[in-house]
Amino acid sequence: MSNKYIALPKGISEKTFDSAIADFRSVLGDAAVFTSAQQLAPYIKTMMPVPDSDHTPSAALMATTVEEIQKIVGICNRYKIPIWTISTGKNLGYGAAAPAERGQVVLDLKRMNRILEVDKDLAYALVEPGVTYKQLYDYIAEHKLGLWLSMPAPSAIAGPVGNTLDRGVGYTPYGEHFLFACGMEVVLANGEVLRTGMGSMPNSNTWQVFKWGYGPYLDGIFTQSNYGIVTKFGFWLMPAPPAFKPFVIQYEDEEDIVEIVEIIRPLRISGVIPNAVVIAHALYEAPVKARRSDYVTGPGSIPDAAVRKLAKDHHLGIWNVYAALYGTPEQNEVNWKIVTQAFSKSGKAKILTEREAGDDPAFKYRASLMRGDMTLQEFSLYNWRGGGGSMWFAPVSQARGSETLKQMALTKQILAKYGLDYSGEFIVGMRDMHHIVDVLYDKTDPGQVKAAYQCFDELLTVFSAQGYGTYRVNTAFMDKVAETYGPVQRQVHKTLKKALDPNGILAPGKSGIH
Amino acid sequence: MRKTKSVRTVTALMLSISVIAAMTADIACATAETNTEKGFRWRNGAEVYSKVCSYCHESQVGPRLFGRELPPEYIRTIVRNGSRAMPPFRPSEIDDESLARLAEYIQRN
Repeated sequence: MSNKYIALPKGISEKTFDSAIADFRSVLGDAAVFTSAQQLAPYIKTMMPVPDSDHTPSAALMATTVEEIQKIVGICNRYKIPIWTISTGKNLGYGAAAPAERGQVVLDLKRMNRILEVDKDLAYALVEPGVTYKQLYDYIAEHKLGLWLSMPAPSAIAGPVGNTLDRGVGYTPYGEHFLFACGMEVVLANGEVLRTGMGSMPNSNTWQVFKWGYGPYLDGIFTQSNYGIVTKFGFWLMPAPPAFKPFVIQYEDEEDIVEIVEIIRPLRISGVIPNAVVIAHALYEAPVKARRSDYVTGPGSIPDAAVRKLAKDHHLGIWNVYAALYGTPEQNEVNWKIVTQAFSKSGKAKILTEREAGDDPAFKYRASLMRGDMTLQEFSLYNWRGGGGSMWFAPVSQARGSETLKQMALTKQILAKYGLDYSGEFIVGMRDMHHIVDVLYDKTDPGQVKAAYQCFDELLTVFSAQGYGTYRVNTAFMDKVAETYGPVQRQVHKTLKKALDPNGILAPGKSGIH
Repeated sequence: MRKTKSVRTVTALMLSISVIAAMTADIACATAETNTEKGFRWRNGAEVYSKVCSYCHESQVGPRLFGRELPPEYIRTIVRNGSRAMPPFRPSEIDDESLARLAEYIQRN
């Protein structure tokens, strides 16, 4: 065990690491290379039910230019040092700023935070990895550009590059973020700089407007991967609509999700409802308004009767469908008629707009998310069990009522076995749904830590056995998820890795790619 | 021809550098190769508070911080290490100097 460092990269001696650190310092300066326990403390904490020591970095590097990153990968190749790249480092519930494996060096790009271009007419942005949604939001407001962002719930402190590269989602009509990505600059492991799509052509002015370029489309292989370091990232922004009409539709029974999805799907596919609709369970919304301890004490998951009482007390449905209309007032009026007619048929739905629910704290933060305003209200979830434990379980479902009910029931059953609650929602794509469940537990309670780990492992095992794949996962379970997609895909990923990064220096272990 | 101006979030510098371009610009653009300017930096503790901390600590997600005379060293430790569900914030996000100003700001409010 090294005395000088709090961890070392796997297979690297202290002497070799000394040389690498000296070289990093010569490129970045002493102040941008961290090795002490105190300096590295913010890179260690995760919300996962595994010891922080499993994900302790050996060092962290703060780079601010492409040239510095090219030199860093040169040093990493020379000494076979693995680096784990982060942008804003706020992938909370998926691993935060900590590396996948103990001893990896964190390459922290937060200070590489220039907004390089925002084009009002063509409605796109080109930014560096450290730019936060808040920074871009303020920039757009300051310059009165009339463009809306789509961002995930940790909005203010997260950023578009990291979120999109991990294929995260938001809540506006641009909610499937990678669909709206357009052009990347990537530092490859050999130090070369690739601009994808039209960016490869000298003097092209279509890098951020035409996604495909010529030949095989490459942007996808730099998402959820470890084939390069993205240093610039283009994406499309939504022009602010003349009118915005958020609404919530509440249903009182868990089985009602079948009706909800069957009604929503055609409206979403046809574009009547254009945004990434959320179908949130009462327990996903409850923490904004209520404390768990007011409804249940002692071990075990919260009983259904308590959830019903809670929902009634706090004016929540057991399911809460948040959606919005975007357009001219006349367009919205036409679409509103279609929506209300569709949901009124069975008599089960309670339809609320800003007029009825505008002061409701759950409605308010959902409306903010659907228009790309900054809010961190969803973090109320973390107060539900307390203790800072959270993992996102994120299987994909067809947008078919029977399937969503089956996934919900299966998830709830497995969570209950381990004494955990179903804090779940479905984010509606056109034909798919991201089924998002916050597996919340108290990380200060060793019993709950063990239960959460076993529960998550069982969720992945059971869901994959039924053909339900997970779209994204925390750094403790990446190998397990990669395994569920079969040996051929895994081998192709490995082949690409060997070709692009033969020394395996870039984020070994990301998405199970070593 | 497309008109451009340098992009910076630090208002004072932005104004001093690109006043002429800004007067006529309808888009904001700078090419990566020629833009050697630094990116966003905090102005003061109040800005850090309003753009980061307030989203949780003013909305009942996290505890209220004002009026408690919290010692700066305690604030520094919590920000750098996190606490329960609160994530830590790195020097790359909130530099040491800005963190010191933030702690002073919280203590005196």
